[in-house]
Amino acid sequence: MANTYRGCCGSPEHGLTRRRFLGTSAVAVSTALAADMSVLSVLKNLALADEVKQQEKRVLLLWLAGGASQLETWDPKPGRPTGGPFRAIETNVPGIRISELLPKLAQRQHRTAIIRSLNTRNADHGGGTELMETGRGKEAGIAYPDLGAMLARELGRADSTVPDYVSMYTSTEGRHKGGPGFLGARFAPMFLDNGLMPENIHRLETITDLDHRERLDLRNLLSAQFARARDSAAVGSHNSAYSRVRGLMASDKLFDISLEPQHIRDQYGPSQFGEQVLAARRLIEAGVPFVKVARPWWDSHGQNFETHLELATELDHVMSTLLDDLASRGLLENTLVITLGEFGRTPQINPSLGRDHFASAWSATLSGCGIKGGTVYGKTDDDGNQVVDGEIGAEELFATIFNALGIDHQKEYQFGSRPIPLTNPGTKSVSEVLA
Amino acid sequence: MRLVRLVSLALALVPLVAADVDRLFADDLPPSDRPIEQVVDALIEARLAEANVTPAPDADDAAFLRRVTLDLAGRIPTPGEVQNYLASSEPDKKSRLVDRLLAGPDFVYHTRNEYDLLLMAGKGSGEWREWLLKSFQDDRRWPQIFREVMLPREDKPDAKAAAEFLKSRARNVDDMTNDTSRQFFGVSINCAKCHDHPLVPDWAQDHYYGLASFFNRTYLTKKQFLAEREDGDLKFRTTAGEEKQARLIFFTSGEIAEPSLAARSDAERKAAEEKQNADNERETPPEPASYSRRAQLVEIALRPDPAGFFPRTFVNRLWARLFGQGLVAPLDQMHSGNPPSHPALLAWLARDAEAHNYDLRRLVRGLVLSRAYGRTSRWEQPTERPPEQLFAVAAVKPLSPMQFGLSLAIATANPAELAQWRENDEQWSARRSDLENRSQGLASHFEIPGDNFQVGLGEALLFSNAPQIEGELLRDSGDRLVGTLKTIGDRDEAVRAAFLSVLSREPQPEESEWCGNFLASRGDRPVAALQQLVWALVTSSEFRFNY
Repeated sequence: MANTYRGCCGSPEHGLTRRRFLGTSAVAVSTALAADMSVLSVLKNLALADEVKQQEKRVLLLWLAGGASQLETWDPKPGRPTGGPFRAIETNVPGIRISELLPKLAQRQHRTAIIRSLNTRNADHGGGTELMETGRGKEAGIAYPDLGAMLARELGRADSTVPDYVSMYTSTEGRHKGGPGFLGARFAPMFLDNGLMPENIHRLETITDLDHRERLDLRNLLSAQFARARDSAAVGSHNSAYSRVRGLMASDKLFDISLEPQHIRDQYGPSQFGEQVLAARRLIEAGVPFVKVARPWWDSHGQNFETHLELATELDHVMSTLLDDLASRGLLENTLVITLGEFGRTPQINPSLGRDHFASAWSATLSGCGIKGGTVYGKTDDDGNQVVDGEIGAEELFATIFNALGIDHQKEYQFGSRPIPLTNPGTKSVSEVLA
Repeated sequence: MRLVRLVSLALALVPLVAADVDRLFADDLPPSDRPIEQVVDALIEARLAEANVTPAPDADDAAFLRRVTLDLAGRIPTPGEVQNYLASSEPDKKSRLVDRLLAGPDFVYHTRNEYDLLLMAGKGSGEWREWLLKSFQDDRRWPQIFREVMLPREDKPDAKAAAEFLKSRARNVDDMTNDTSRQFFGVSINCAKCHDHPLVPDWAQDHYYGLASFFNRTYLTKKQFLAEREDGDLKFRTTAGEEKQARLIFFTSGEIAEPSLAARSDAERKAAEEKQNADNERETPPEPASYSRRAQLVEIALRPDPAGFFPRTFVNRLWARLFGQGLVAPLDQMHSGNPPSHPALLAWLARDAEAHNYDLRRLVRGLVLSRAYGRTSRWEQPTERPPEQLFAVAAVKPLSPMQFGLSLAIATANPAELAQWRENDEQWSARRSDLENRSQGLASHFEIPGDNFQVGLGEALLFSNAPQIEGELLRDSGDRLVGTLKTIGDRDEAVRAAFLSVLSREPQPEESEWCGNFLASRGDRPVAALQQLVWALVTSSEFRFNY
């Protein structure tokens, strides 16, 4: 299990080695300062310590960047002018039919709730992305945190040796970087934009492990000396960031999918998306509370059907593998898997056989933690032009996500003098899909 | 084009609650001819006495030098500057130092960088940054900069970059409104957009739309020039569902009378329409509107007014930069429910700034020569650290990305080379500009200071493992600190030199011992040992903050 990767830094023997160079007076001072340091390592103003953490709950967001077509996935309209060439198929839940491009997921429908009634009104990539990443529209003068940062804040632990928000993105529309907004850099994602390994996580070969550790000890000693009688949350965050470095470096194996047995790697397949989702599962298993995998290229203004034949088929395979894998490890009941993008696609098929941006009636799914699988919430009309039942926006979706994880969606953050609830007052979650 | 007919100055049709509970009559303020630093200390110390708090003692010379150099020059002092200052026994060495910093080339660079962060969050183009630098080099004052930013002349090659503030926000009237409001007037108004402000009774929807109306006619033409229409009004819906037409309002001004559109002749109306159509197609920047709401804003904001949003925000933001916390805090919450910690001080400083035409150097000089600015940041008394707004003890302030980047470059440079560059100002100015450019890449990784500042894990990982830290800052070569340290035979001397270069002070005896032992335990790898020592110093909290 991943927990064994945390390395050998806890051993008392290393403690002695580390102190060797500092001499006797330093041992005394560093012991005296230890109390200071432990206070500093908790970000006091964030009140992490007094939170009741939703222990061990995790989220894996599959971000369908560019906007997946609801008609070729979760809300097919076969036989209608807007329906396109693909059929709808039965699932293992009587009465629920989805696109034939998702045959494997159809056999796992009991794990997933489909929401078919999103009307989010913003069909622009930038605005739609911001809305669906943060659960709110853009507002002048305030940077809202994205879902990952909020959940890192709610689910992460201050002393964690694993990252609490990992975001994988590779190209085009998926490249949008959300972020922690007013929650602060402590909750910034670790971005993987080039391969599966985070930047700066490996020690350079020019320095030995011992030297790398001991120079950090010297740094900590000098910094503790500085922090004496200078009570500052900002200084605390500086020391806290450095105190997490060695643990984070020891978690590098989490990102290394070559450590997975071959049959597991085969199941996820050799695609980049498959490998990223496998890495995501390793992270989730090790206790990373939020992982986002952005799969680009869904923005099918031309050749929508070829695009979806390729991408929906890949999603079907990878997500099915993921759900099975999480379930067999006993992780699914505590892991929420979300499929979401910035919007859906037009029912009308354009002359390039594409579908354009469409935010008026589209779909998302929730599987696993806190979710009543095998349900469908909301309904669009026969051609998929508008929502006829159960219309919700980004806020209700976010409230539902928070509730599924056991988090009060009306909980408030403080931005300057202004209280900011996780979702705006009066927002209701979709209780129909909650377990 | 028709002339502007302003029927009456202000017609208060909308009931307003004035944000003036802290407004003080001039008689209540200390005399205007008293030196700034004396007024600061008198008013800060009066409040401390009231609170029964004895302030912290003065910072020592090295800490003061580092603090004021970071605040005025935007960088740490060079080791030569440290040694000179510590060795000096002149009784007025503090004020000489401050005068030297204000006159030196670093001051305008740093001032530029700070106002660039304020106005463009460091995302401005090279032309914008050049324009801002030139403005401060020419000693253009804040009202003039405000005027040029609000009423940019894109037809003037040396002034057109000023348009960037509005152009980068012109697609969204909320952005123009709120950013102008927060940055120049110290008021966050956007909470009053959809409803009257829920927490601040001063601000109603009328105020939000009243301020937004100064910008609602501003747009980008097809050729991406900034332009302003001759007419057009904002409408909004109140929470009661009533549709209202917005009236021009500047916070507590009451409604501002405008030339009535209804009174225009058909010919005038037609001419305005034609101008707008033509503007939108023009290959060159359009002429300003004959009646410009933005010009109205500049005039009203700069008009003498006891509420004084413009001068107070100028003073308050500068105060916060130097003291770590505004007299009004948060900086964008200037309203009656959030009075200044020291109302008379803010009023006096704002009056002084106006009376001296916003002389930045004069104001900075007065503030940093106050006792309040010069205190240590350590609170050693048995009582709890007093609240920041008492200014009883100096704040610990995170470095801005450029302060940090530049300070890293200086800390890890060969001290002898630095001393050579510092020999004359012209040479140093060119070198500084060069160092800034070279520090941009590293600086882009650092957080911009603001409310709830935190250092992220990314920064700690970068310093721990990125090749550019080893390969650039810690390089073993003649132009670097490490290359210099290794030529020093004596271990204690090497430690001392490293402390002077990086932390701008002498090491304490126990620090000498720790670092000396650290080097001694690495006798088989002396260069690596020095690299690790310098690493531990540049990553220490002491280096990351201005204390």
